[in-house]
Amino acid sequence: MHHLLPLLVALPLLGAALLAAAGRRLPRPAVELTGLVVSAATAALALVLLLNSSPPMVEWVGGWVPVGGESVGIEVIGDGPSLGMAALVALLTLAALAYSWRYFDEPPRGHAGSFPALMLVFQGAMCGFALAGDLFNAFVFFELMSVVAYALTGYRIDDPKAVQGALTFGVVNSLGAYAMLTGIGLLYARTGELSMVKIGRGLDSTGGQGGPDALVLAAFALVMTGLLVKAATVPFHFWLPDAHAVAPTPVCMLLSGVMVELGVYGVWRVYGTVFAGPGGIPAADLTRALVTLGVLTSVTGAVMCWYQRHIKRLLAFSTIAHTGLFLIAVGVLTPEGDDGAALYILGHAGVKAALFACTGALLDRFGSVDEHALHGRAGRLRATGVLFALGGLALAGLPPFGTGLGKAVSEEAVGGPLTVVYVAASAVTAGAVLRVAARVFLGLGTPPQDTGAYETSGSREEPETSGLLGRVPDTMTTVPAVLLAAALAVGTVPGFGDLVARSVNEAGSGGARASAEWTPHGVLLGVASTALAVGLAAGAVSRRRRPAVPAWTAPLRRLQSGHVGDYVAWLLVGATVLAALALPGVLGG
Amino acid sequence: MSRRLRLWLLAVGGAGLAALLAAACLDLPGFGGRAHPYGTRAVRASLARHTANTVASVNFDQRAYDTLGEMSILFAAVLGCVVLLRQARDEHRERPRPAEVARPVRRYALLVVPVALVCGLYVIAHGQLSPGGGFQGGVVAATALHLLYLGADYRALERVRPLGTFETVDALSVCAYLVLGLAGVLAATAFLANTLLPYGTFDTLSSGGTVPLLNAAVGIEVASAVVVLLANFLDQAVEIEEGNGG
Repeated sequence: MHHLLPLLVALPLLGAALLAAAGRRLPRPAVELTGLVVSAATAALALVLLLNSSPPMVEWVGGWVPVGGESVGIEVIGDGPSLGMAALVALLTLAALAYSWRYFDEPPRGHAGSFPALMLVFQGAMCGFALAGDLFNAFVFFELMSVVAYALTGYRIDDPKAVQGALTFGVVNSLGAYAMLTGIGLLYARTGELSMVKIGRGLDSTGGQGGPDALVLAAFALVMTGLLVKAATVPFHFWLPDAHAVAPTPVCMLLSGVMVELGVYGVWRVYGTVFAGPGGIPAADLTRALVTLGVLTSVTGAVMCWYQRHIKRLLAFSTIAHTGLFLIAVGVLTPEGDDGAALYILGHAGVKAALFACTGALLDRFGSVDEHALHGRAGRLRATGVLFALGGLALAGLPPFGTGLGKAVSEEAVGGPLTVVYVAASAVTAGAVLRVAARVFLGLGTPPQDTGAYETSGSREEPETSGLLGRVPDTMTTVPAVLLAAALAVGTVPGFGDLVARSVNEAGSGGARASAEWTPHGVLLGVASTALAVGLAAGAVSRRRRPAVPAWTAPLRRLQSGHVGDYVAWLLVGATVLAALALPGVLGG
Repeated sequence: MSRRLRLWLLAVGGAGLAALLAAACLDLPGFGGRAHPYGTRAVRASLARHTANTVASVNFDQRAYDTLGEMSILFAAVLGCVVLLRQARDEHRERPRPAEVARPVRRYALLVVPVALVCGLYVIAHGQLSPGGGFQGGVVAATALHLLYLGADYRALERVRPLGTFETVDALSVCAYLVLGLAGVLAATAFLANTLLPYGTFDTLSSGGTVPLLNAAVGIEVASAVVVLLANFLDQAVEIEEGNGG
């Protein structure tokens, strides 16, 4: 069975290569069907492997099984979390491809297969990253998924904003990749190994007496910088809203639904395997670093989310807020925290992808994603409206959605004052979504007057289909419905939470077990967040006059300047801050 | 953010990172040490499989899975380039005018084209034996074609590089690499296992099992990918003009 693990990467790549080779000669339905079939086959394979992942599988690619504990090959890990992420990637790609069925007006002339081919390469790259047990191999797939994501983000070249967003995305993420590669170089210089497990052991044996030194700290800060750039953590997050606002909707579904979360997954995997030993970074320092950055990320994301009128940007900031929450849960380093993050990521993927899918329908029907310009215009898109509102409620963590279960388990794990961050961030972001739903679909509140202040509005956008759609096609309502149903299933299928918890804890957490089930406490907090979100939305809609954006948010909003130079400066500051947060352990050791 | 503030941030972040890297460098192992755990193992494994060039053995045998990723990055870059550099709605194509080329330049370029091409192919073919290999040879072979652009003009170049064919060949060589890898799975060993072909006589063209085949696949992929990449950028510079043309 374990020999099949690399196929999760090879099959989508093969499909992409065939599409690129034959795409020009095939009719469009055949091209799109090929994409769907390949991605469905990979999803099925991932699920089959996932069901057989206990005990965890290890595959040495090329058959380089270690002899006497030494190997020159690359190991691929098939445990619950890695195969779970791979399955999530494959299923979400399938959903995005189904959503984009006959979607773009004209594929590039003579290159009809290029969009599905790029999506399949993206899928293969993300699966490869999820399965990687070798640090350099993880970097290779990190690069591959970045390259594809830049191209997909800039897909609509007729819009200069798309090119700008893709360029910012490219510059910031490439710098993150260089940081990661430098960190890997340092670790290799110290240990002479590339496999994560062996690097971890090497650090413990070489630095065991004196604890970690400056080299380990630098390697930690650099590798984590790369992963946190991908996870859009403050202050590495600036690329995400700019890229999400311009990327085609199916691509946003993948970027927000799973690629950003893979960054968090990478942090969990790399810390647990490489830096968790006595020669690595002490647990207290990691918790300090991740929880600090996580809280900052959640607060920034939530505040910025509330003050957006461009719906795609609003959803992008909500993704940032939620990634902060995942990071806090992973950062507390308890089995319950890992379980909570895993469930939260699963639920969030379905909900966020569904919300983007509904926004895509608005864009193609009205040529706008501006909350103000769309005021009351989408009343007739009843199905899309219901789905959008349901998505908003699920985002708040309404039981029994999977997001609610993940949030409840995470809250239990972090405990104390951090619970407030969870309730507040999920309520504010969900409140923003519900506010949009009330204004756009129900036409509640006073119609806006344009104040003339400059902001990214999202009106006068190009639809992604050939001209404005007369009615929303069935695929564009079915896909979000299925995604929301999946997010619901994560929270309602009996025993699913425990199953996820068991497979996550088997792979990490030092073998400790925790259960992940609904508790009265969790249900109460979920209902509280939802009530707060509804209250916030109702408050915003019922105001007679729209209040001006408060002055205290101005500095925060100005940071999102769109200037690549600013983002690069913040990236350097972020890497330094990360090292400073982890410094006490090195000094004390 | 004002320019001043940005520079301050950059200075603070840069100084912090520089200090961190400087401290890390002091902890690096000394220069010229004798212990190279990975190197020793890699050379042993490469000799055991009759591959004279250890780098090729690392690239196409021991860590062939990484090479699959690298190759896919180039493949994805080509796909992405074709998508991003396509003709936008507000652009049109204009036939490039024939250009005058100084006679010595023309003579020299035409003389060097076959030499450079053969060089590239040689570097690809001997990848498992001597320094070089698919990646390097592919780039040499691809740039050789572009001497025609210098020696003659853009139309001459366009005649020798039917883009559609190169794009197809690029994709098919990725397929070939993957199929060679999948053969290992079908033979119940492992993905990209180099156990299907005999290892041959050490230091001959056919030695190393699947290494020469994977190397050739990468060579062809890189050559056609570089041709397509350069073509798209040249098109953008030479043929595609702003405005709708009419």
